[in-house]
Amino acid sequence: MGNDIIAFHGNLQQLLEKVEKGEMVPKMQASHAPMCKFMTAFFVLNGIRHCVPLVHAPTGCAAQVSEWIRRGDCCEHRGVPLEPVPCTSLNESDVIYGGEGKLLEAVLEADKKYHPDLIVILSCCTAGIIGDDVETIAHEAKKLVNARVMAIKSEGFGGDFRSGYEDAFKLIMQLMEPPKKKRKGAINIIGYRLGPTATEIPEDLKEIERLLDEVGIKIHAEIAAGCTVEEIRRAREAELNASFCYDWGQKLGDLMKDEFGMPYSRTGLPYGLKATEEWLLGVAEPLGMNKKALDVIKRETEKILPELDYLGRILKGRVAFIEPTTVFNGPIRGLAMAKMVEEFGAHPIIFNIHPYTIKERMPSIKYLLETGVNPELILTPGVFRLGSYSEMSETEEELEKIVQGYDNVIYFGSSDRYPSCPVVNLGLISRFPRFGFRGIQNIAKLIETALKDTSRPRSRLFKEMIYG
Amino acid sequence: MAKRTEILSQILKGEKCFDPYLFCALHGAAMTVLGVENCAVLTHGPQGCAYLVDSAFAWQEADWIETETLCTKLCEDEIVHGGEELLARTILETKELNIQALFVLTACGPEVVGDDIVGVCQDLQSRIPFKLIPIECAGYKGSQYDGIDIALDTVLRKLSRNSRKKIPHSVCLIAPQANANPTWVGDLAWVKQTLSQMGIQVVATLTYKTALSDFDNISKAEVSLLLSHDAGKKAADYLFSQFGVEQICQGIPLPIGMSNTERWVLELGKRFDVQELAEKLVAEGERMVADTLRRKAWGVSGESLDLRLLYRMPVAIIADATIGIPLVRFIFEDLEMTPELICLRSSQPYAREILEGEVEALGLNPKIVYNTDVYEVRRSLGEIKPEAVFGSNVERHAIEGLGIPFIFEVVNPMRQFRLVNRAYFGYGGILNLLELIENDFNDKWRSKERRYKARW
Repeated sequence: MGNDIIAFHGNLQQLLEKVEKGEMVPKMQASHAPMCKFMTAFFVLNGIRHCVPLVHAPTGCAAQVSEWIRRGDCCEHRGVPLEPVPCTSLNESDVIYGGEGKLLEAVLEADKKYHPDLIVILSCCTAGIIGDDVETIAHEAKKLVNARVMAIKSEGFGGDFRSGYEDAFKLIMQLMEPPKKKRKGAINIIGYRLGPTATEIPEDLKEIERLLDEVGIKIHAEIAAGCTVEEIRRAREAELNASFCYDWGQKLGDLMKDEFGMPYSRTGLPYGLKATEEWLLGVAEPLGMNKKALDVIKRETEKILPELDYLGRILKGRVAFIEPTTVFNGPIRGLAMAKMVEEFGAHPIIFNIHPYTIKERMPSIKYLLETGVNPELILTPGVFRLGSYSEMSETEEELEKIVQGYDNVIYFGSSDRYPSCPVVNLGLISRFPRFGFRGIQNIAKLIETALKDTSRPRSRLFKEMIYG
Repeated sequence: MAKRTEILSQILKGEKCFDPYLFCALHGAAMTVLGVENCAVLTHGPQGCAYLVDSAFAWQEADWIETETLCTKLCEDEIVHGGEELLARTILETKELNIQALFVLTACGPEVVGDDIVGVCQDLQSRIPFKLIPIECAGYKGSQYDGIDIALDTVLRKLSRNSRKKIPHSVCLIAPQANANPTWVGDLAWVKQTLSQMGIQVVATLTYKTALSDFDNISKAEVSLLLSHDAGKKAADYLFSQFGVEQICQGIPLPIGMSNTERWVLELGKRFDVQELAEKLVAEGERMVADTLRRKAWGVSGESLDLRLLYRMPVAIIADATIGIPLVRFIFEDLEMTPELICLRSSQPYAREILEGEVEALGLNPKIVYNTDVYEVRRSLGEIKPEAVFGSNVERHAIEGLGIPFIFEVVNPMRQFRLVNRAYFGYGGILNLLELIENDFNDKWRSKERRYKARW
């Protein structure tokens, strides 16, 4: 394999070291633009029922997020009613004279129009630059309206996409009141973002709910997966916090542990048998429900023995190329998949995880390394190319070439890729959940589909659609 | 119906808590420049603003193989210390692109902090093998329609030149993209076909698949034809004042429905002295529509067009002005329904005149809201309680709980995915609209559950 198609070949630890030294992260790569801080903060807040996210910005910021939720996701796919996404529609005059007065009036209007339990002011770039003091306005406004009023400084330039999630979770912690009592055997699922937006996969949450129910663990609140303000207010009554992801729950779990002394089960994505066991026991043990959890694990494991046997047979000795593409929800799921295939005897190679992503997800990556997840990684020059088409088409060519250099390969990623090996299409929405025991069944089915009739030619039509 | 004495209209202006249908100026500018071929777009702003550009991408049917959209991804440093240096470095990084022009669009942040994008582009122009075209279109400068006007103004000033010579029987088409038909390219295609049938040459379209060289010819057009009631009027005025390009079909609704199409086509025929041909096109078009409906929608024993039975049903129109205004006459005359609520997403003065003229001419007395937002739409629907709404997917959900039985999705955003461009303009457009409305009408009656389970 020529070095011309390899930009980095090592393991996750080595890539992290390079990124920490400032190597490999292009400062000006103009085309790799994830969502801004405002958008990600919005995605957390719209997972709270009867919450008005009041966007202190020109219309574009509000219209962009409402376009996503109103075109399809909101009412069509998520069972969420049409909810408001109002803004202060800042204009040139506000830029010159300030928008604080307008914002205060907007809060009053929002309370009158929508009768919410909570109004959260999200400040965007313009409001941040002109120096509107959104926190003081929120403080003043809450004396005048029925709803709780809070503010988050979520200017798009003010942090990476991750900071919006973290700051929004941190903000809603302020709603949590000291517990009057504790609910025994009840937990909060934290870090979920499941409002009208397609941020998480509902079927994965359903599988978590099912397993907890089997063990007899009650869910006190799912924050912020369609929870109410009241549920957040009483969140500290739960015995334990649990997350499903290193990335999103971790910060909130750590903060609630530090500030409220609430125990936090720090576990990762329940992909595969081992991770599912870890997840369930990680929650059950602190609650003293270990035995019940072990019973459930035994029972559920027995149900999927054919799939476990199949995965062991089929993956053993294979090289599994895993590409964390957007269609299967990003790098942390990619790393969880690597851990799963390793469990079944395959050798995982993560293909093209962007260094920018490593930089943005540094705490989660470090935690994964601590838990022993340190897969082999290959990065190609295509990932650094300017322009999304150039990036995608060049990495496709590189993937096709690199895969040819390995025997017994299987590719996990998107069917938008065309390597000359079986393609496990993790973008197939009808095969969710991926978490837990049902997830193992689904992933086994996806692998079986990939391995069936491997000589079948791929669609020329779709390939030309994507790559020209 | 009582003769109206006063048109009751409301223009939402300066609402403090406003749930917008429309994007900001940056999106509108992007929607415009993405219609120019062999170009790339660089957004000078934080990374989130790149999404506003990307959401305009498919609207112009841009091809990701040909058109790159890039972003300077401004962070706190650039907001504090200025982003001109980063902009310059990013422009230099784009040198490798095989394009004819790079449009540099500004988001709110850099304009508030005073980044001089025009100066940066001027300084770098000699080192870049393609044209640099800066457009100051910060989101706070207005809606997407203002953005279209800003972008058209900038590109016309920068790229068009006065050639003095006119091309006989020629036209410049303006703002076809400012149209909420999700497949507005179909409308543009119908306009071009009709012009071609009349022997009229299109010298430029502002914008859709527009070549940079087309801007050289704009001043040669005899007339301009505005294809939107939401944006583009300023560009038409500019072409008139600078190059004497006369505006035609002014003050009348765009060609949706039988009467509007007839009036529009005949007006064109009159201006270009091809009246007979225009009359022939109208006669043929009308015959085609009626024949098609009789053959396909009036089966003696088969399917028929049920929506003909919605006679005098009170309805609401919630749309952009481009589609919403001509729908009034189409719905009233051709479909025999009665518009009782009209909420438009914009409020251009010339469009208001057209609408109010139409309402008066038809003897209607609807509630009219200009510059509407989602809250006002739901409130007005609850107040007027029409039996059907001509609108979008937003209204499909906004009517929940209001007891309004029918929603006909005709404007963006729509639930249904569309690949084939279907016009609303012209005679084929009438059939397309009827098809949409009839399907939504039938969908209402679809059994959502089964009364019992089949045995097999």
